Amino acid sequence: MKRQYLGLAAALVLTNTAHAEWQKSYVIEWNEPAMYYGADTGVIDPGTDCPAGTNPEIDWIDVLVRAGYSLEEAQWLRNPANPTRSPRHGQNQMAFRGKDRANVYTHPETYPDPGLTEVSGAIGEGLNLDSNSSTGFTSPTGEKGIDNTFYKTLGCWKTYRGPHRLSGGALTFNDAMRNGAWTMVVVVTGEGDDPRNDEDVSVGIYMSDDKLVKGGDGEVSPDYSFRLKPHRVYEGIFSARTIDGVISTREPSEKVVLREPAFNQELELLQAQLRLTMQDDGSLQGYVAGYRPWMPIYTGWVDARGPVIESLTWVELPSVYYALKRNADYSPAGANGENTHISYALRVSALPAFVMTPDASQEVSQVVSYRDSAPEEVVRNPFAGLVVNGIVPDRSGKYYAGPDAVILPPDAATQ
Amino acid sequence: MKQVRYKLRQRLAFGLTLACALPVAADSVDKGAEIYRSACKGCHEVSIAPSLEGVVGRRVASVTNFADYSEALQANSDKHWTPEELNRFLEAPRDYIPGTLMMQTVPDPQERAALIAYLTTLGTEPAALDITAPVSGIDQPVTVAVRRLNESQYRNTISDIFGADIEVKARFEPERREEGLQAVGNSDLSMTSAGFEQYFGLAQRIAAQALDETRRETTVPCSVPANEAAARACAADFVNGYGEQLFRRPLSEQERNSRLALVPEVSAGEDAFHQGLELALTSLLAAPEFLFRVETAEPDPDNEGHLRLDGYSRAARLSFLFWNTAPDEELLRAAASGELFNAAGLENQVQRLAGSPRFEQGVRAFFYDLMQLDGFDNLIKDPEIYPKFNQVVADSSREQMLKTLVGLLVTDDRDYRDIFVSNDTYINRSLAAVYKVPYTSDADWTEYTFPDELERTGLLSQIGFLSLFAHPGTSSPTRRGIKLHEIFMCEPTPDPPADVDFSKVKDSKAGTVRGRLLDHMENTGCVACHRRSDPPGLALEHFDGLGQLRKFENGQLIDVSATLNGADFVGASGLGELLHDDERIPACLVRNVYAYSAGRVPDEALSPFLSSSVAAFAEDGYRLPGLMQRMAVSEDFFHVVVPSGAGASDQVAASQ
Repeated sequence: MKRQYLGLAAALVLTNTAHAEWQKSYVIEWNEPAMYYGADTGVIDPGTDCPAGTNPEIDWIDVLVRAGYSLEEAQWLRNPANPTRSPRHGQNQMAFRGKDRANVYTHPETYPDPGLTEVSGAIGEGLNLDSNSSTGFTSPTGEKGIDNTFYKTLGCWKTYRGPHRLSGGALTFNDAMRNGAWTMVVVVTGEGDDPRNDEDVSVGIYMSDDKLVKGGDGEVSPDYSFRLKPHRVYEGIFSARTIDGVISTREPSEKVVLREPAFNQELELLQAQLRLTMQDDGSLQGYVAGYRPWMPIYTGWVDARGPVIESLTWVELPSVYYALKRNADYSPAGANGENTHISYALRVSALPAFVMTPDASQEVSQVVSYRDSAPEEVVRNPFAGLVVNGIVPDRSGKYYAGPDAVILPPDAATQ
Repeated sequence: MKQVRYKLRQRLAFGLTLACALPVAADSVDKGAEIYRSACKGCHEVSIAPSLEGVVGRRVASVTNFADYSEALQANSDKHWTPEELNRFLEAPRDYIPGTLMMQTVPDPQERAALIAYLTTLGTEPAALDITAPVSGIDQPVTVAVRRLNESQYRNTISDIFGADIEVKARFEPERREEGLQAVGNSDLSMTSAGFEQYFGLAQRIAAQALDETRRETTVPCSVPANEAAARACAADFVNGYGEQLFRRPLSEQERNSRLALVPEVSAGEDAFHQGLELALTSLLAAPEFLFRVETAEPDPDNEGHLRLDGYSRAARLSFLFWNTAPDEELLRAAASGELFNAAGLENQVQRLAGSPRFEQGVRAFFYDLMQLDGFDNLIKDPEIYPKFNQVVADSSREQMLKTLVGLLVTDDRDYRDIFVSNDTYINRSLAAVYKVPYTSDADWTEYTFPDELERTGLLSQIGFLSLFAHPGTSSPTRRGIKLHEIFMCEPTPDPPADVDFSKVKDSKAGTVRGRLLDHMENTGCVACHRRSDPPGLALEHFDGLGQLRKFENGQLIDVSATLNGADFVGASGLGELLHDDERIPACLVRNVYAYSAGRVPDEALSPFLSSSVAAFAEDGYRLPGLMQRMAVSEDFFHVVVPSGAGASDQVAASQ
């Protein structure tokens, strides 16, 4: 505890004594995976990104039968009138469709790859992470080499697909953020005379415990004050430059961790870069990108109650597992190691705000790391303790699900 | 005095001459006074138009302290306002003298004659009003005023008597503002049957909470009585105690007995006993004597034939002014002992009230009413135009005004006029966002001094005033100017004529408001008022309809220079300095302190009292607490006005 205070004091001393030549600060009002949308309208309709539309709706009776359940058992499990279909239990038995009725969420490789519709268009959003213009997508503005394999892999999953700010997933998680679940702030400082053209710029992305505030129009209001909250996990520091108001990283940051707008809250980005444009209205728009570990993406969905996710979003989660694994394009261990990471871009929109020191006494005037001054904090999955191996077990035991579950009640034939 | 009588005779002669020429009776002065009040007073008793005192026989455009005569009237300054001239002018002013700013017409010849007859009487010295004149025909206590408790007074009273944790959930009857104050409007308010149902339901809920098992021990003055005599005594203590606090005076025997009859005999059981007490309390809470502040005058034993406000009415007036709640035990005791009739006793109580932390509550309530802050309850802004506006911002803006006023005038005991020039205020996180300044505090509110570059000088440059007196989608120099005159100078503005074309003013996408108002003022019927109301508002045009700082409107640079009564000023700071030195402002505050506490505007008999209060206010450096204390210890503060018709039939029970 003593060390904690000393660390905080050190950070405060640093911020109080060191001042950049200029400072601008923002609060993130929207962030979502940068998924280029190639259709004219509608989430599931065909478009240049997904010519066949999104991953199709699944016939779960067929899936269960292929997994070894009898037709009668599959029909009984999928019958809304039966207790195992209740939202509370989330059709738990669906988990047990692997080999020998293994749990496909925890053991996806016990289940053959069902296949996932992937993006086949050539346009994608994000940044050129590997400095190779011959790989990846072409941006909507014509820039080559955009690395966003996450988009290629999951861009036709209807949860992620849609026009800017309108995909189901983005809406769900940004609504939570905008209603006060968490807040991230951005501090930009520079050592030159002109904020729009400065070779020595620093960008810090931090957490705040002060909630976003909506105005009468239902949108997040600018110009509010947010106290920076030192956080052990969530923080991103970038060295950058500005050219004509566009902030770009000078060198990739080895590792940053942001609060992801997803069930999996931890967005770890290796070789992270950003490109954020200072807009005329004072806002900041652009991307933060890097290579993220792919496994947490999969487990994030599993831990959000696998059967519920599968039923509502038209995917079989093992297909997500296989697709991410197949498309992963980066290995921190080196070129010969198994690719454990996948290229990714977060589309960010931020409004002008006042980012204050943790004690609120003044504006943050220098981008430094506050990690060492942060208290210990455990990042908890929102379903922690509730979800076990991708399902919510019925604590009463009345609706047991498992490899050895008896599916049909004795009198099922008469039902 | 002889000269005055001569002038009066001369003017009456003019009037009589006219009366002979026109079909009007000489006794129609009253009718003329009525017309004057409805058609003339609105402009001619404020700085919009020249005073009409002595107008009959006066040279045209000759009032020396009025600088805004139209060129048309000035061109006729060789004429005199004879009754004949007035008659022709009033029939159709703009036909008779084209270019005049006078917009009111009196087309009916009889009404014109009556009005001229009344105008003839203006400017003569009024018969000396003797504030101490005997009141004939009243030799018992008489009700002289009835004022409905407002919501905050009701809530404060309940909280003080039964505890702050008592929930008061109800929709209160709407208030009405008259003469700029709800306190005056409340003197004329009755209660609808639907309103009474609300109050009755509320009484039941409050009584139930007060006698809930968890509170009973502290609410009821005795444990379960063992016998009937003890039960009666306990119930009597209960009814007398709460009755006196709620009615702000001891109960009459009849009032007490009617409530005691609701309490069953002890043999009915403990629950029945407490239910009876609950019923009795409900009855007290639903009684008009609680819901209305009843002021009673009584024959003055030291001044035969005269009335004085009785002790309990004095106590209530003091308590609601200084604390915005019912009198506490000490004040009731002082009322009962007669201390409030002697100078030392009264002064002791006033000092005690003003020295209490609760004095802030009274000052807040006064300014809440004076500044018309109830308007925030229904304030609407177009979210497309002012997206930052929400209810939190509205509530915070109101609170900022109150905190600023209390901070400057009570906590720091500063010059009242500083409210127009001080940059010191309080902000919270929401307001900081609208002001576009960082919020440097961990607390909900913090003291703050606006830097000069933000142009936030004085109360009028705060979001509260600027947003409250604007339109939902635009600023409004006119509204801001009108309210400034009404609230701070006691100069209301008459309603605009019915035939005004507002389309140019409302086209918010064309140029600046200044330009649109200038177009609007091409209408000569509008210019008389607008040239008074608009300049202060134009100086505040660097603030949009939400009070956000701006320098441009529709791409055009906003000019915030203005001229009022010949004085040039620029922006909020210039306006603040102008107001700081305006003599009407402290005089208006004095008038409002009295009107707020008495529930009526002061009559002419109180003019000397008000004048001396203004002088003492100035001498004291315009300190509000001192002003309130000096006024409250004056006998004139309790000046009795017997309503017309009040007499023997209205006399209240002598036992009260």
